[in-house]
Amino acid sequence: MAKEVRLDCLGEACPVPLIKTQKKMANVAVGDTLIVEVDHSCAIKNVPEWARKEGFNCEVDEVDDGQWEIIIEKTK
Amino acid sequence: MQIKDSPYYKSFLKNPWSYVAGAVILAILNTAIFTITGSPWGVTSTFAMWGAWMFKALGGHPETWVYFQGKSGETLAKGIAAHTGTFMNLGIIVGALLASLLASEFRIKKIKNMKQVAAAIIGGLLMGYGARISFGCNIGALFSGIASMSLHGWQYLIFIFLGAWAGSKMLVKFFM
Repeated sequence: MAKEVRLDCLGEACPVPLIKTQKKMANVAVGDTLIVEVDHSCAIKNVPEWARKEGFNCEVDEVDDGQWEIIIEKTK
Repeated sequence: MQIKDSPYYKSFLKNPWSYVAGAVILAILNTAIFTITGSPWGVTSTFAMWGAWMFKALGGHPETWVYFQGKSGETLAKGIAAHTGTFMNLGIIVGALLASLLASEFRIKKIKNMKQVAAAIIGGLLMGYGARISFGCNIGALFSGIASMSLHGWQYLIFIFLGAWAGSKMLVKFFM
């Protein structure tokens, strides 16, 4: 059963969300999904850019004004 | 159709502009600033002026300092209402506020922990001090410096890379 892991990066500025995501992703099992919560607009550019380069599925969802969830599926 | 679904709203107000669009606009505006005010765009020397005016208002005499002899001294004597740099900096703040409001992304962010506060204070002090002794920040020394064909802009570029590299290592080690 695929799990969902959440990572709270609210209030963090670049490059902290990206580094935290990279560290967290290393401990996520293949098939699981990591949801990164951010409120820093640069993070919705550099985190998906990194995730897609790694070959993961990635989507960004604006959940509130200036607040996003980056959904990354560890496909491999 | 709601405004937020309009493709024009999305490409002009919601989504970030491309780096190329940003670079071209900055180049045009910096040329305009240079033409109108006689010196290229800078941000941080205004902070020194603000500090001096505040100190003066509290009864200090910054006009006797070496830094405020010559041109900066004239600016100091003329006062804040005649200072273009002040209005340019206020313009940045108002413009940034407007952009985040129009994109519907304005929010007051919470402070995560005391480490973040410490990092912000130490970083701010280092940047302020560094900007004064290197004749400007990444705007005045780097952007305007290189655009003015000055070698100090290129020198700044090399050392800001080294500084950013060291700063990132420290950020990960001590502040995360």
